[in-house]
Amino acid sequence: MSRREPEPSAEAPALDVVQGWFQSVISHPDGVESGISADEAQALIGLGRDELERIVRRSRNLSASERIGIYANAYYARLLECLGECFPILRRVLGADLFEPIALEYLQRYPSKSYTLDRLGDRFAQFLEETRDPDAGAPPAWPEMLADLARFEHAIARVFDGPGSEGEPPFAIDAFQDLGAEELASARLLPAPSLRLLTFRFPLNDLYTAARRAGEEDELTYPLPGIEHVALCRRDFVVRRHPLTPFEHEVLAGIVGGGSVGAALAAAAGMADGEDLGPTIERSFAAWTAAGFFRGIARPEGA
Amino acid sequence: MTSPRLGHPNLGCGVGLRSVHFEHILKEQPAVDWFEVISENYVDSQGRPRHVLRQIAERYRVVLHGVSLSIGSSDPLDRDYLRKLKALAAEVNAAWVSDHLCWTGVLGKNTHDLLPVPFTEATLRHVVERIKIVQDILERPLVLENPSSYVTFAHSTMEEWEFVSRMAEEADCGLLLDVNNVYVSSFNHDLEPEEFVRSLPHERIVQFHLAGHSDYGTHLIDTHDHPVIDEVWDLYRLAHQLTGGVSTLLEWDAHIPPFAVVHAEVLKAKRFTEPETGRESSAAHAEGTSIGEPWREAALAGPLGEAPAPHPLHHIRPDVA
Repeated sequence: MSRREPEPSAEAPALDVVQGWFQSVISHPDGVESGISADEAQALIGLGRDELERIVRRSRNLSASERIGIYANAYYARLLECLGECFPILRRVLGADLFEPIALEYLQRYPSKSYTLDRLGDRFAQFLEETRDPDAGAPPAWPEMLADLARFEHAIARVFDGPGSEGEPPFAIDAFQDLGAEELASARLLPAPSLRLLTFRFPLNDLYTAARRAGEEDELTYPLPGIEHVALCRRDFVVRRHPLTPFEHEVLAGIVGGGSVGAALAAAAGMADGEDLGPTIERSFAAWTAAGFFRGIARPEGA
Repeated sequence: MTSPRLGHPNLGCGVGLRSVHFEHILKEQPAVDWFEVISENYVDSQGRPRHVLRQIAERYRVVLHGVSLSIGSSDPLDRDYLRKLKALAAEVNAAWVSDHLCWTGVLGKNTHDLLPVPFTEATLRHVVERIKIVQDILERPLVLENPSSYVTFAHSTMEEWEFVSRMAEEADCGLLLDVNNVYVSSFNHDLEPEEFVRSLPHERIVQFHLAGHSDYGTHLIDTHDHPVIDEVWDLYRLAHQLTGGVSTLLEWDAHIPPFAVVHAEVLKAKRFTEPETGRESSAAHAEGTSIGEPWREAALAGPLGEAPAPHPLHHIRPDVA
């Protein structure tokens, strides 16, 4: 077996030191040379100009710096590509030229700490709020739309791979019919584990649909500010989007919050603007049940 | 004494499971010997990816292949991840569990790259100790792959094949010999790929990987977006002769062609391993048409983009209506 002799001048830095140094260098946004001379790397392994080969060998074809550069190029290229896949609609709306610098800054502020790339975008919406352009005008403006869109896409991804009700017997609307009015009012509906209620500062659901259908060259029409409520729920492993009226959102928020049906309806009644709620409630509960929003009903004690 | 290949059978020619092929596999149930799945795509899944994997595992043998174990890292092992990995392996009756001889990050960060370790006595002790811990947690031998690498450290005191051989013996683990990675790393480090393959403990090799790479003239990058090149097939034939034949798997991770094309590419391996055709030249096989011509043309057109991202890059796009 051939034995490789260490370079005559090679030190033997501890593993944690060389790994911390290497990670610091390849993840420096301004490239390898800047990474090597940055304080973080210098604190671990102090290298003068032209001393890189004390740590990394050159090859026949490439300098030590060029070799490390392969990892450095790949680091951001890989994560930018993945973040773009996590937020395809946001990337489409912004365009790659705008998306990538924002994503690059995000990856520096919030580097991945998970074993899975699925969590890479966990704080992207938060980051977009934190780094809001002060010249964008009073909220809600363009930055709020981007942050809400990021939140929308992230929620879809979490619902897609989170817990669901597939495999459970479907909860049917008939369950309500066994209950009298008083029993129904005091019963609690158990929300499906995939049900998510979202509120946006812009009507994004139609934009989401349009952006998915649009070709690369197609122009998108961006919405004006306006509150929109959307429910997400997964059925047959596919995430479904359900636009909600303010009244419907309020009722569902009460149910998801653990309140009784009666309490949820009472809390939302003020949003009904005097209309006859009977038909609306009946229609909404039928649609929500068919969409799999509920997994069961907890009857009041003694019922 | 450990039995050859840790007692694992030769599963034949398998394909890396990728989400773009889910529908085809479920509908057509192709005659594939086995599938290798990226563990991280499924360990946390409670949705369609896990559902699909369960269905596939009912019909095919499945091997779990991870990219985040980070066995060479100076950070603590992620025991939560290992616990989930063990549960997933039990759920799909995984034939074995593999990952890479590398580190993916330190100080709590994950670069999602397979970063190289210095080949020193200290690193060897560190890695062997961690493999033993992982094997205790998983309650099964670990199988580790040689990654493609692009740097070597000045303070390394041995070549990769010596490190890998001693690691396997001292930790009593298996090896996943990625033949393409041997070729890529050897080119990048001015080494002789045949010497690498000949120097390993062949009885510990449980599995082969095959893949394509991108040639940048001065260096090669393991992009998994091309067919396997002739020189790698030649190395594969040598490895097959030295091991007597083990489970073989093709990885294709970018610009992924239709399933039939990927499957046809790995089936070329049979032409190198079956006695009546094994004597033929690899070049003759490489000229075959088992890969669809439009895909071959696209794949051979060369590296795409200026900053290729070596694998692993795995993300399953949600199904949304």
